[in-house]
Amino acid sequence: MNEPYLKPLPQKQPENAPLWEGLTQREFRAPKCNNCGAWNWVPYPACRECLSEDLAWTPLSGNGTLFTYTIVHRGLGAFHKDVPYVVALVEMELPPGGKRAVIVLGNITGVPHDALYVGMPLKMTFKDIEGEDVTLWEFTAREA
Amino acid sequence: MSFPSRKAAIVGVYNSKQARNLPYASPWQLELECVQGALADAGLTHKDVDGLIPMAFHTPLSLHMQWAEQLGGRPISFLDVGGGAGAVSKAALAVASGMANVVVIWFGNAGVRLGPQGNSVNPSAPRVPDMSYTVQGAYMSPWYAMWTRRYMHQFNVPAEHLAEYSVIARHHAVLNEESVMGVKGEITVDDVFNSRMIADPLHLLECPLDNDGGYAIVVASEAVARGCRKTPVWVLGGCEAVYTDPYQSITPHWISSEAQAVRTTADKAFAMAGVSRDDIDTAGLYDCFPVTMARDLEECGFCELGEGAEYIHAGHVALGGKMPCNTDGGLLSGSHNGNPSGMQVTEVTKQLRGECGVRQVPNAKIGLALSQGWAVHGLAGTVILARD
Repeated sequence: MNEPYLKPLPQKQPENAPLWEGLTQREFRAPKCNNCGAWNWVPYPACRECLSEDLAWTPLSGNGTLFTYTIVHRGLGAFHKDVPYVVALVEMELPPGGKRAVIVLGNITGVPHDALYVGMPLKMTFKDIEGEDVTLWEFTAREA
Repeated sequence: MSFPSRKAAIVGVYNSKQARNLPYASPWQLELECVQGALADAGLTHKDVDGLIPMAFHTPLSLHMQWAEQLGGRPISFLDVGGGAGAVSKAALAVASGMANVVVIWFGNAGVRLGPQGNSVNPSAPRVPDMSYTVQGAYMSPWYAMWTRRYMHQFNVPAEHLAEYSVIARHHAVLNEESVMGVKGEITVDDVFNSRMIADPLHLLECPLDNDGGYAIVVASEAVARGCRKTPVWVLGGCEAVYTDPYQSITPHWISSEAQAVRTTADKAFAMAGVSRDDIDTAGLYDCFPVTMARDLEECGFCELGEGAEYIHAGHVALGGKMPCNTDGGLLSGSHNGNPSGMQVTEVTKQLRGECGVRQVPNAKIGLALSQGWAVHGLAGTVILARD
């Protein structure tokens, strides 16, 4: 049996249920405003551009590019067993026509640390947490 | 409309001892020492206080009420929250308008650590808000490491130029016997690069301290200030701004010419004060990491976007340079006590009073303090101060 997962896990907010359900189906969804077309990440009750509450959870391709990253050598709490690990901000690929960017915080796995660079093409991967009701997103390399 | 320049003054400041661990029974005891210390510096007592801006990690109104009771159970007619330089700006407005006469701004931390300390682990996975960066193992140093890498990428900044700021800050701390790291002596850029990696590209000596300590600032009306024990340090202009949520939402304009909180407050403060960037003799700029210092210089308008690291490399912010900054050692080598956003104000005030001894900036007349935090340049305050 694997060691239990002891790192912080998200307390899923009911209003974000479509996000967490999507992850179990290997799909990343972000709120898009039906009124003005703006993407809104992280999720908020109303659109940042027009304050419309008519937001639709919309699937993204999961592709993105590396906006910036750090290789953490001093981990907080249970993360100390994972060092060195990568924390990154990834700008997601969006369908044409929308407004505002979607920049997502995530860990990068499966990539040698010296191969990372700002602008690197990445794709989202999904990690089910054993014994918990949560699927987390991560990122790894993708062919450009 | 105009800001009431020179109608309010900082009349008292106090820094407690700053150290890794302080033997206080509670943060309250430390806060009380700071409040009383700053009032004594001004020649005032707790019975003179009628305005409160606590800077505790959590500032519900019940906290203001408890401090109103602690200080004698008298009417307090100005209550606010905010960061150091922003708090001073708002207190100045309050006392210039007659809303209050004596506002105290304070913070004290005994025992709360912000970064990793030891490797203690919960017995089961803790549940946190679903957009919390702790799910990904981020904390302050990783966030600022990501900001540093993005900054270096956008402007092709050499790591050495940023590391040189750690060297300057340590030099200032060596000249300040109240600093936490001064006793460790001077450091070199090689020392910075040879210190252990915390969050690449940030080494240990590019990360802030995480210690105990407190401070307080007393802002009073012109009439009160004229009768105080020390020479008044007048508020010429200042304000506070916030533009985003705490370390959650990021836009591609993270580092851009689009004005965010810091530039907004600096531009407004200079317009209110009627002075120019070249008039600033010394500054306290919130410097939790070298990149923060570089970006502070850019957003405050002391140099152009992308030129902050070069400004540091040129030696302008060191004692002897054209605008010595963070002469107490700043947050890397002076003290970072959890919410040190008022310590830039206490140091600039001491400089303008001429109380800084071996680290005194000669003939310092006009100073600027910048507080920031709660997100990367998220909540900001700028205040411009001057002696008579």
